[in-house]
Amino acid sequence: MNNVIREMWMLGRNRASLAALVLLAVFAAAGVAIGLANVARDSAMIERMLAGQPAEEQAVAGFVEDAGYGAYYGFQPVWDPPSDLAFAALGNRDIAPAILRVRSLSLEAQLYENESANPELSLAGRFDLVFITIYIAPLVLIALLHDVWSGEREAGRLFMLSSLPGARRRLWAVRIAVRIAGVLAALLIPFAVGAILAGTALPRMLAFGGLIMLACLFWSVVILLVARRGASSVVNAATLASIWFALTLVVPAAANLAINASVPVPDGAELARENREFVHGAWDRPREQTMDAFLALYPQHAAGSALPPTFHYKWYFAFQHLGDLHVAEQSQAYRDGIAGRAAYARAAGWLLPPAGIAQAMTALAGTDVTAQLEFQQRIRAYHTRLREYYYDYLFSERPFDVSILANVPRFDPADDGDAGAD
Amino acid sequence: MRLVWTIAGAELRLMLRSRLALVGVVTLLLLSAIAAVTSAVQMAETAQARAQAQIETDEQFKAQPNRHPHRMVHYGTYALRPVGPLAAFDPGVDSFTGTVVFLEGHRQNSATFGAARESSDLLRFGQLTPAFVLQTLAPLLLIFLGFAGVARERERGSLRALAAHGASARSILGGKAMALGVVALLALAPALVALGWAAVRQPHEGGIALVIALAYAGYLAAWVLGIVAVSGIARTSQGALIALIAAWALIVVLVPRAAAGIAGVADPLPSRVDTELAIAADLRRIGDSHNANDPHFAAFKTKLLKQYGVTRTEDLPFNYRGALAQEGERITSQLFKDYAARADVIRQRQSGWLGWAGVLSPALSVRDASMVGAATDLTTHTAFMNAAEAYRFDLVQRLNGLQATAVSGTDDAARSKDPLADQRTRISADFWKTMPEFEFNAPSASARMTAMVPSLLLLGLWIALAFGVLGWAARRLERHGA
Repeated sequence: MNNVIREMWMLGRNRASLAALVLLAVFAAAGVAIGLANVARDSAMIERMLAGQPAEEQAVAGFVEDAGYGAYYGFQPVWDPPSDLAFAALGNRDIAPAILRVRSLSLEAQLYENESANPELSLAGRFDLVFITIYIAPLVLIALLHDVWSGEREAGRLFMLSSLPGARRRLWAVRIAVRIAGVLAALLIPFAVGAILAGTALPRMLAFGGLIMLACLFWSVVILLVARRGASSVVNAATLASIWFALTLVVPAAANLAINASVPVPDGAELARENREFVHGAWDRPREQTMDAFLALYPQHAAGSALPPTFHYKWYFAFQHLGDLHVAEQSQAYRDGIAGRAAYARAAGWLLPPAGIAQAMTALAGTDVTAQLEFQQRIRAYHTRLREYYYDYLFSERPFDVSILANVPRFDPADDGDAGAD
Repeated sequence: MRLVWTIAGAELRLMLRSRLALVGVVTLLLLSAIAAVTSAVQMAETAQARAQAQIETDEQFKAQPNRHPHRMVHYGTYALRPVGPLAAFDPGVDSFTGTVVFLEGHRQNSATFGAARESSDLLRFGQLTPAFVLQTLAPLLLIFLGFAGVARERERGSLRALAAHGASARSILGGKAMALGVVALLALAPALVALGWAAVRQPHEGGIALVIALAYAGYLAAWVLGIVAVSGIARTSQGALIALIAAWALIVVLVPRAAAGIAGVADPLPSRVDTELAIAADLRRIGDSHNANDPHFAAFKTKLLKQYGVTRTEDLPFNYRGALAQEGERITSQLFKDYAARADVIRQRQSGWLGWAGVLSPALSVRDASMVGAATDLTTHTAFMNAAEAYRFDLVQRLNGLQATAVSGTDDAARSKDPLADQRTRISADFWKTMPEFEFNAPSASARMTAMVPSLLLLGLWIALAFGVLGWAARRLERHGA
């Protein structure tokens, strides 16, 4: 115990080391605070959308006279609530929208809308606990540990200290442990406070805390391996800074370049245009062609499928859905391209431990690319329920009643969604 | 002065002999070259793809068959943001914004399909572009090559020897700075070649490319001076290295993120849905075209009837439905414009925070100057969005105008019940060929130059500060000797 107190006292007496630890704690706390504020903003945004929905529905119910009209104006909210760890790992939530309003029209024309964010704020990356853990904490660890041995040697004390009885256990191990513990405390205490405020489930909190520890452990091992080699302090510092620089900046940027080059993603704009061409082309195609294709998918609606000589929403919504199917393959390829890039990035994560740990953090928090794609799949599943609900009314020719609008299926963010329902 | 050259020459020879220095320089040059080539290839492909897509979109619009003009309002068209003239050097926000906007009646859509949402989320830090290399990596290389410049001499006691040869502190620091400056020029070279190449192919961008190059030269000069100053002040080279890496981490990594994070939560933007709901509520208040007894549209009708001295809309010399559509679009578009302007102001304020954070981080200032100069910043994107909205409004109103003048009111009224009337409301496909095409030009070089001024001034301040610190370091060195 005395050994620990001695090392803590020594660490506290070194102004630069103490300043580095205090700054790290301040940054971690700031990261948590900004993360919590982001999550609060997202939650408030979702609340506002849901609170505004009744007025919208009331207004639509005021002028709608049939189910088709109701489906046309019936925007329904879908949303991706921030998880209880999103505050620590904001991930892609700034570039992938968390809320959307969809209606029974062709989904491919609605699904890719973007949020109205300021791109200059996304440019540098997020300021959250992942950032502090992956980029900043290693630098503090390097500052504290690169000269554990070389510093004493340069001060002429190394032989004397090493010859003390039990030096390895009582001196070096304790000294190193105290410094690592200082870094961990600077990260974990703000995280724990944030997790309590966010109401994070304990197992998830422990898992995330474990990832923070893993990141620090990885860097500690790297640093100590370099520091043991017996080079001078300055060479150690330069070597470690280069390793940090390569692992967190250069190699990921190069890997990203390589991944994007080797996994093509189909042109989204072309997909959107293709969808529009098919949907609007339906106005100039024989209506039977549309209805036949639609009824092949929905034979249960054949009985009520007869069209009047003039416009009918049955036909209108039939070609809207066929427009989605028309680009289903492209849409799947688009999704597969993004998922493929994410898969390569995960593989790269095994070779680049800091990147791998960052990915594990965003995956745990549900803020990564995969979560973004899953949200889209949930929207697809919900959209299917929504339009099929209206088909039942459109094709049964049941008399219209405003309760039809009130009873539409609602999106449930917890619903896993039957992925690939489309 | 001759002594300065001698010291610089000696420092450079030392670097040439040092394996570490050589590896560092070669790595940076290699990265810089890779960045320049891949970025040039990628942006050229992107530019080509977007220009091609715009052409195809325009052709598709013009190739539509005979239709009711309102069908064309819904068919709409797309605006693609052209790639900025210097985007290969600095793509800026290009991948963080959508690049395609669907333009249709009644609705204002967002820009969709941006590269960032299609990328792997591998430590989103920066794309490997010439600008990123200069902003982020080059200062670090300079630190590695320069931190020991003076501190090493002090540790070895050779500072005294230099002083004995009559070298003043000024000439020692000046010589070291000169040598590091040569390295900085070398680091700049590939990016400057990339910039020069872009300027050669687009001569009207030459002036602004030069200003961008000068901004980066100034940024790296500030680093060179600061590094030599810290090396001159620090007691050991280890201390100099740690202090410089800490400064780099703060200036290049931490402050830009923190400033963006704070700006985002301190001055939040309304979400798209917020805006949609607010516009819907406003519309219900101002004029609800779904409501037959809406006061605004009733007044609009009365005014038209009075103006033309008739009692029924059927007797108007044009199709009333077209006029009604124009009035409806006018109201919604005015709201789109108002709300977009409000959001633009918030975005500008947020970016203003980043501008002020340039006081803490010259990296932010040089990034801003570079993006503004390359026309890949928020302002250019906003200008694109506003141009797309203006074009959308114009196109939709032209089509609504066609509904008023080229579609008979009687047929239009009967078309939902009478298939033959419906046939007659389909007007000639030739009309679509007369519609103007979307065109967007990035802000002019002089406008961009003006917009760069605040960031350039901040950079100038940083250079002055770095000179000041170097001067202080020289006096200190003179006073305390080695």
